[in-house]
Amino acid sequence: MKLILAIIRITKMNETKIALSDAGLPSFTAMPVLGRGKGHGDLEKIESSDPELRELISEMPRLKSKRMITLVVTDDKKELAIETIIKANKSGKSGDGKLFVIPATDSIRVRTAETGEITLD
Amino acid sequence: MYLLRAIVRPEKSSVVMKALFDAGFPAVTKLSVFGRGKQRGIKVGNVTYDELPKDLLMIVIPEKDKEFVIETIMLAARSGEKGQFGDGKIFVTPVEESYTISSGKKD
Repeated sequence: MKLILAIIRITKMNETKIALSDAGLPSFTAMPVLGRGKGHGDLEKIESSDPELRELISEMPRLKSKRMITLVVTDDKKELAIETIIKANKSGKSGDGKLFVIPATDSIRVRTAETGEITLD
Repeated sequence: MYLLRAIVRPEKSSVVMKALFDAGFPAVTKLSVFGRGKQRGIKVGNVTYDELPKDLLMIVIPEKDKEFVIETIMLAARSGEKGQFGDGKIFVTPVEESYTISSGKKD
């Protein structure tokens, strides 16, 4: 059982939702987060910006609004989930986000107190 | 790789993020959360506040930097010399894989 934690662009939420549903992984949790990555990617492209301003921005990258989606999948659906999320979100530019795979020990359905992989169907 | 989840005071989160940036760890995700700890919240007279606002900082780091980053966060998040109740917690979770979406590559 794996917990997949993806930080993606807000504008890609709808596409991600549709892609995950189509792949048979409809359940997930999303939350608004703020974040920064390695930063500096976009600065190179701003040709008109004056060096002083550029230096000021590069001191500390700003926090950007992102969505964090988390989903728990069985081991055999891990690759599918990763591929689906990456395919839906990939634009090739920096800022597309990150995806982390974390081991999950157990999952419990609150309604019936069932545990294990049966709860992930 | 490890995922660090640090729950810190909201007023300290920018200090922690500055410290992380200066230490060479610019990538951080932040979200506001509410919670209580061992002190069961704060009691003022008859009123108990047990949903105290905190900031949750998430950062994924390579194994070798674990101790250093934890130390950096702790020093920045601590209030005063000795620290205070409510300064927060840091949880460490193992991360098996990490992908950069823009390149689709595994790090």
